[in-house]
Amino acid sequence: MGKLRAPVFITRHVLIALVVGGVGGVLFMTFLLEFDHYTSTNAFCTTCHSMTYAEESYRQTVHYDSASGVRASCGDCHVSEGVFAATWDHAVGSKDLFKQLFGPDYDDPVINALHLPEAAFAARRWFQARDSATCKRCHTQDAIQGKRADTAAIHREETDGKSCIDCHYNLVHRKVPDESTFKRDAWNRMVEEEFGLEPGTAEQLMSAH
Amino acid sequence: MLLLCALTLSIAVPAAADKVKLDPSNWGHEAGSACVSCHTKASSGLAQQWQDSAHAAAGVNCMDCHRAERSDVDAIEHEGQVIATIVSPKDCGRCHTKEFEEQQGSVHAEAYSIIEDRIPALAQNVGGAAMQAASCDQCHGSRVKVRGDGTLDPATWPNSGIGRINPDGSKGSCSSCHGRHRFSKAQAREPEACVRCHSGPDSPDKEVFEASKHGMVYAAHRDEMNLDAAEWNAGRDYTAAPTCVTCHMGAAGKLPSTHDVGLRNVWSLNTPVSKRQFLVIFEDGHKMELPADEPAPRRGTELTRADGTVGTVKAVATPERRRQAMSLVCVECHGKGFTESFMRQFDAVVELYNTKFGEPARAIMAGLYERGLLTPTAFDEPIEFTYWELWHDEGARARHGASMMSPNHAWWEGMYLVGRNFYARFLPEARAVAGEHADELVDAVLRANGQHEWLDQPDQASAILGFAPREAE
Repeated sequence: MGKLRAPVFITRHVLIALVVGGVGGVLFMTFLLEFDHYTSTNAFCTTCHSMTYAEESYRQTVHYDSASGVRASCGDCHVSEGVFAATWDHAVGSKDLFKQLFGPDYDDPVINALHLPEAAFAARRWFQARDSATCKRCHTQDAIQGKRADTAAIHREETDGKSCIDCHYNLVHRKVPDESTFKRDAWNRMVEEEFGLEPGTAEQLMSAH
Repeated sequence: MLLLCALTLSIAVPAAADKVKLDPSNWGHEAGSACVSCHTKASSGLAQQWQDSAHAAAGVNCMDCHRAERSDVDAIEHEGQVIATIVSPKDCGRCHTKEFEEQQGSVHAEAYSIIEDRIPALAQNVGGAAMQAASCDQCHGSRVKVRGDGTLDPATWPNSGIGRINPDGSKGSCSSCHGRHRFSKAQAREPEACVRCHSGPDSPDKEVFEASKHGMVYAAHRDEMNLDAAEWNAGRDYTAAPTCVTCHMGAAGKLPSTHDVGLRNVWSLNTPVSKRQFLVIFEDGHKMELPADEPAPRRGTELTRADGTVGTVKAVATPERRRQAMSLVCVECHGKGFTESFMRQFDAVVELYNTKFGEPARAIMAGLYERGLLTPTAFDEPIEFTYWELWHDEGARARHGASMMSPNHAWWEGMYLVGRNFYARFLPEARAVAGEHADELVDAVLRANGQHEWLDQPDQASAILGFAPREAE
């Protein structure tokens, strides 16, 4: 039996490069995993004051407070599964940070409410494009029983060609109409009424940016 | 006869149970079957009611009534379709054109507009905001508000009040009488269809009907009423008894049916003083009641209506013609003389109420307000409740009792209480409020009236209270 020898091209330098690259790769992947994990937490998302408005309504729903003790975090619904997809989502999502810093003052509850519909429409499109993949991390269609008599049958028989988000929008955050029937004017009047503002203020605030 | 023809032509259109003239290709929306499939599971009650309806039999599905345009104020997305929760009379009118046109502008359709500015004094001040949604608006209707997020404001919805102002601007709610989603003709022809609103202290028409000979005969012969008939012409399709619909809406002999429920009414019975009324018909099909003690508006005159819109007068039906229409129903079962004499008895009660109680009470109140002895705010002084009940509850009961032949409601539940209120509560309270002006503001009105002189004859002994008149000594 001859002694095992490394091929000739494994020189000392190559060996060092492999070890450094390997360790670096592991460190990088670990960093990504940890980064995605941390940036998917409620605590991270609500560091921006503007996000606390979304949190308020979420805290009122069963996705926050469930009888079984399961709690869906921001990232559970809004960040894809898998390190690459999650990283991609975060990379794309960084535009929100950019807008937070340089866009309208989303921390202002009025501005926030005025811009909410577009945010909702974008989020819905995101769910649709992924066939509600993040819903399905927890919810298995075959296992849905529901409290009412025919909930199971409805999910079994009435969902052909439909994705969770097609029916279950307005589940967690403030109610926004579907884009197809949304009326900007009516929304603006509602926000003005809610905050006791003069009619027309909404348009002024929105055109300021 | 000529008059009869003119009447038929001017204030009514075709005959009973109008057939839908629209081509069936206009309904049977292709998305309808998906609605039914899911709703049979999600809300089986309403799906089954629809399954049992004439709509289902004719192929009219959920989408045919609930479909909406994206631009509609109350349009929402639902399972891929654009729909509206509220099916307004305008929506029903897509097929049921005649009924829609008759109903628009009727006293039913205007039930909210007529009182909208008066509601707060009672519903908000005496009661509270919650009362308006749960009570007033449930009969009169609400002004339905669609919020910016597309939801219907719970302060105004659910509501199926008969004068509901719908998001599409139309007035009324067909489901007020035609329970959704079955829309049974038979159910709408039953007196019970009217009970939700026409009962209770101010317009106890359910109780009045039940206590009348009409109600008695109806109860005994309900199975002979042919309530499911396609056409329901009194005297031809049924003769056993009348229901509310028979007299106020139904076809009878040559008199066509109408969805304008107030068309055949001569009097306003729910006002402080009853008036004979003109029915003004506008160019745009809307209608309005006007007191007949003022000259009738001429054709072409512009008038402002209860909701603030202006309309051009097309025709005016006089109280006499409206009475003739109602009498045409009576004569399917009664003689002409019998009918005329009954109307005379009814009119006499209304006139008695007006002249003996309604007008003097109103004059006394007007004097108290004029002198600043009462604040303009309604119901902040006890006498305002007294006066309100005098005409709105007791007085209305007396008049309704006489109009539909319940002796008990005409007298014990009605005019007796009007009298007791007037003599034992209203007058003493008015004198107290008037103070030193009592003779001028209260007793002078009574003296001028001439129907209260018995008060000045304190020695008219009677055994009615259980005290035999003493023998003359």
